[in-house]
Order: sequence, then C-alpha cells, then structure tokens
Amino acid sequence: MNTDDLIARLSADVPKVPRHAIGRRLAIGLLLGALVAGIAVVGTLGIRPDLHVAMHGFSFWVKWTYTISLSVVALGMTAQLARPDSGRIRWAWLLAVPVVLLAGAGIVELARTPPGAWLAMWLGHSWKVCPWIVLALAMPIFAGLLWSFRRLAPTRLRAAGAAAGLSAGAFAATVYCVHCPEVSAIFVLTWYSLGILLAASIGALLGPRLLRW
Amino acid sequence: MRANEDELRRLMISGLDGNAADHAALLRLLVPVLRGFYRRRSSGADDDIEDLVQETLIAVHTRRASYDRERAFTAWLFAVARYKMIDHFRRVRRLQPIEGLEEVLVADGFEDASGARLDVEELLGTLPPKQARMIRATRIEGLSISEAAAVDGIGESDVKVSVHRGLKALMARIQGGAR
Repeated sequence: MNTDDLIARLSADVPKVPRHAIGRRLAIGLLLGALVAGIAVVGTLGIRPDLHVAMHGFSFWVKWTYTISLSVVALGMTAQLARPDSGRIRWAWLLAVPVVLLAGAGIVELARTPPGAWLAMWLGHSWKVCPWIVLALAMPIFAGLLWSFRRLAPTRLRAAGAAAGLSAGAFAATVYCVHCPEVSAIFVLTWYSLGILLAASIGALLGPRLLRW
Repeated sequence: MRANEDELRRLMISGLDGNAADHAALLRLLVPVLRGFYRRRSSGADDDIEDLVQETLIAVHTRRASYDRERAFTAWLFAVARYKMIDHFRRVRRLQPIEGLEEVLVADGFEDASGARLDVEELLGTLPPKQARMIRATRIEGLSISEAAAVDGIGESDVKVSVHRGLKALMARIQGGAR
C-alpha cells in the first residue's frame, strides 16, 4: 500500500488517549485478572471462615504487606518496561526491601519458637500446594496484563514478561491470602515467594513469544 | 516543514487528545525522518525501507498509548523504530550473513546525531537570522568565509563578526542553561 493511503487510513480512527494511559491499562488488566482469580478462590477454595478475625491479627497484615508491596514494585517495573524507551530500571532493588523485612520477621519468629517446632512452622499445613495455587491464580492476572500490553510497546520482551509475571504472582498471592490460613513468616517467605517466582519465570519464558508486536 | 522535537511532540499530544488532523500531520512528518533512520542503518532496497517505514507508522498509531506526554517524543519514536527494525530483520532476513548486523550496529550513533541536530536547529532558531545563517553556512555546511560572504552578498568581515557573535551568544545560552 502507498504510504499516503496508509496515513489516511490510520488517521481515520484517532480515539482519545487519556493521560497516564499505561498505568490505566495495566490497572484494568490486573484487576480483571484478579477478579477471575478472586472468583476462583471463593468458588473452589473458599474464604477462610475466620477472615474477619484474622484481619485484626498481625500475621495476616504481615502477609498482605509483603504481597502488596511486591505487587506495587513489580507493577511499577512493568509500567516502565511497557514503554519502548524504558532505559535501565534503577529501583529494581526495592523488591529486596519486603523480602528482607519479612526475613527479619521470620528470624524473630524462629527465635521465639523452640527449635523442635521449626519444621512444622516452616512447612505449615499446605506447603505442597501453596506455590502451585499461587501460580495457578497468577495465570488469569498474567492474561489480563497481556491484554494490557496489546496497546503498549515493550522492547525488552523478556524483562517485560518477567515483570508482568512477577506482578501477576504477587497479586495472586495477595488474593490467595483471603483463603490461606498459614500464619508463619518463614512459611510465606518460602512458599509464597516460590509461587511468585514461578510466575515470574513463566513470564520471562513466554515474554518474547507473547509480547511481540 | 522541518521536523523538530517540539513540533512533533505538539502534534503527538494533540493526536492523543483526539485531533485526527494533527495525528495525520504527525505521521506525514515522520515519513522522511523514518526513511532517513532506516536508510542509514540498512543496505536494503527502497521497498524494504518503505515496508519498515509503514510498519513503524502503524506501530506509532496503534501503540501510541505507550507514549508518556512528559517525555521526549523523538526518544520514544526512535525506540519504536529500532524495535521494528530488529523485528523486521529477525523475520525477513533470518539467514542473512552477519555483515548486515554490523552495519546496523555501526549506525547506532544516528539517534544521538539526529537528536543533536534537532538541538542545534532549536538553538540556532533563537539567534538573529543573519547570525544563524552564517553559523549554518560556515560551521555546518562547511563553506569558507569568502564563499559564505558571496552567497549572502555581504562582506567577509561581516560574516566573521556574525559567526563570532552568534557562537558567543550560543555559548552563553548553553552555559546559562546548564547552571
């Protein structure tokens, strides 16, 4: 096709783009995915019956603070990588902050517990399924973010995929908290993080294939 | 019309606000910029270059939500263009020998150079026309003092004085801007 004709055709449809369109699109994709993940939790796993009690407890908020802060940092990285001129992400180290803080809480917890109970505390009741559930819940959120990317322009596809996977994993873990009754910090640090890392790895693996434009 | 950062950015933002005429004007202005960008970087035939230009125009159109109004437009544009070129080579010339790639890499300074050219044009725009014209003739186009004087129909000393004053004013402006 002739370039002038192409320009005429493209200019026939010029919808408005709101300010901060990247953030908006990512938020919509994330929330739609999270809605699906939330319905899956409520429908198949069920909300923990003591949720309203747990929400007054310390350990619930430790978990949520951990997963939400990881989500926020990961989403920030995703938003930056959604621009073609993304440059270096100088604040990726912020991801380490929640991990280190939670590890600190874990050490305090271990110090207060007799060593004989450590293994039980670390494995909880659900260590075998927790990472896999987080990973499974991350999938609809990842799909939502892929939808967001359809109008965005990542140029480092592997990094963008990893960041989207990380966001999806961390947000999936946030959703999973309404079901999961585990209370120990080292449990969360190990098994939640493993699920989130799996989601990020899958994102990195699929990024170059799925994010091409 | 000459494409410069301010003008392109204004048109882009106006297009983002829904102004179709400005969006079309932007795409038209981008055609020569992109042709230059790709021609400098590939030994490909004009057809290839035109394909790339069109692909990039489509990308600029469909991916425009990824442009942040607070940032430089040309940096965004060249990042899109570079991505499209790499993608194009990956698809079309998967079996090409590595020489093609080398040329692509060698031309990497083009973005900076054209960015710098836009800056220079902008700075020269702030000078009185005669000083700007003389600096352009002697320092950019490479004419000698006497040639520049002949072209403009003025005396050689007038050329020298204009260039000197113009450069001094630019220097003051740049240093003032850096402070």
